[in-house]
Amino acid sequence: MIVFGLFPLVWAIIESLYKRNAATRKLTFDPAYNWTKAFYDDRIWNAVYNTLIYTGVALFFQLVLGMLIALLLDSDRKGYGVLRALMTLPLVIPPAVTAMMFLMMLNGSFGVIAQGIIALGLLPENFSILGSSNTALAGVLLAEVWQWTPFMVLIMLAGLRSLPKEPFEAAAIDGATPVQAFFKLTLPMMSKVIAIAVLIRGIDLLRAFDYVKVMTDSGPGTATETLSSYAGRIYFGGNPDAPYAATIALITLIIVIVTSSIFMKACKVRL
Amino acid sequence: MELSKPWQIVRDLAAVIVTALFTFPIFWWALTSIKPSSAIFDKDRVVWFDFVPTWINYGVTLFGQSRSQIAIDSGIGMGVAGEAAYDSRRSIMESIVISVGATTITVIVAVLAAYALSRLRFRGRNAFLNWVLGQRFMPPIAILVPLVLMFKFAGMRDTDNYYMGLVGLMVLYSLINLPIALLLMKSFFDDVPKDVDEAAMIDGATRWQSFSKVVLPMVRGGVAASAVLVFIFSWTEFLLSLFLTTGIRTIPVKIQTFVTSTGNEWGFIAALGTAAALPSFIFILLVQRHLVRGLTLGSLKE
Repeated sequence: MIVFGLFPLVWAIIESLYKRNAATRKLTFDPAYNWTKAFYDDRIWNAVYNTLIYTGVALFFQLVLGMLIALLLDSDRKGYGVLRALMTLPLVIPPAVTAMMFLMMLNGSFGVIAQGIIALGLLPENFSILGSSNTALAGVLLAEVWQWTPFMVLIMLAGLRSLPKEPFEAAAIDGATPVQAFFKLTLPMMSKVIAIAVLIRGIDLLRAFDYVKVMTDSGPGTATETLSSYAGRIYFGGNPDAPYAATIALITLIIVIVTSSIFMKACKVRL
Repeated sequence: MELSKPWQIVRDLAAVIVTALFTFPIFWWALTSIKPSSAIFDKDRVVWFDFVPTWINYGVTLFGQSRSQIAIDSGIGMGVAGEAAYDSRRSIMESIVISVGATTITVIVAVLAAYALSRLRFRGRNAFLNWVLGQRFMPPIAILVPLVLMFKFAGMRDTDNYYMGLVGLMVLYSLINLPIALLLMKSFFDDVPKDVDEAAMIDGATRWQSFSKVVLPMVRGGVAASAVLVFIFSWTEFLLSLFLTTGIRTIPVKIQTFVTSTGNEWGFIAALGTAAALPSFIFILLVQRHLVRGLTLGSLKE
């Protein structure tokens, strides 16, 4: 396993030190070439920006919705167990399939979600949500948020269920409102659970690929291009430039490691 | 928390509505899978229930039936040519073989390794654990490029040999999921006090016997949870399967081929998608108790 894990990483690092001549397809050793090229490549900065926006927006919605839904479903009353089980459904569907299905539902002419939004008068007739560069990322995020909010719900529910009862009873006797109890008791006591959930989702989100690849293929233009999908495009597109793709992949890895280390230090959690 | 009656009703309603919203897409896909194309592609309105249900989409994708024949039999018109491409029986078999194989390999290796990491002290143990954790940070796209070359070099591409291609993906998924299964199993083994093994060994059991006869039965739930998670991750994996194999198409890759230049076959996509979600959902319900721990790699316990 060590060999297997280490080999691709070492390979990618070595690969990124070679310059590929697009015409002759020959590789020459030139350690700085790809890295300087990446620095001056507007598409990389665009991809970094998209990746961070994608991660930030998705995390925000998944966290807030996840918390609210967990609070809503945290009850021992009859029937709530069934609701919680139904809530886990989205988690088991292959992301590539989810992406296809949202592609269908967001279709401007017959998709049920798009027709709903158009019927509300929010978008013009036959508007293509994924085909317009202003709304494409929002469309992809919709699938992402739908599929992974239940993940947050599950974790938050586990956290809520493990909280001790006494502080809440004491607070209720002292006349605290539920809202006060939530901000003063629930949130602080749940901080570690929330941090771990954010960390795990954040790492996955920074590597986002499936939804973008299937729903928009990074388009229109580069409007939804993330680092992973950019690297995929370079490597598997026409005239593939493997060294440059490896460089982009390494940049992704560096961003993941740096952001998650800072986060783990700041929140004092570890995986 | 006790709520007054009217508020309790509001809460129950809200809980049902929210759950309904999140289940709606799945319900919609299942509904789409039994719709005839005229209802799927209706541009003037959203078709809810006023259509004639048809099993045509399942027949073609899961059972390899000919669409034109079913269409003629049930009187809803002619099919299109090239429908053999929608017969997904081989993809389903490939997905099952790869996922079940990967799950078996991963769980066996993970259980043995996790027991060793949990019970034995050896040099490099912590370094090894950190390395395993580090695997989580690797973007799949970064290992893809070297992998393609490795597979080419080892003759493990499906274009070299179909069966080697299956084995290749199986081994690859095992390796990718091994860290997850390993950490999860370790957290379960750590829950079993060491005294248990020691007591067994004082009674004359060997290390292997105390592991297989005493400790292993105590972590059955953990083994099941790891197996289900590895199965689901292998079953749903997309990126590596998409780029590494050409002849072998796992279900998530196969379903992409239903997008064609002449139009997308949403009925088929919905049918195969619904069918593909079914096994995972059944499995996940079986291990619901350990789900949170599994998804957080043992960091959170319920």
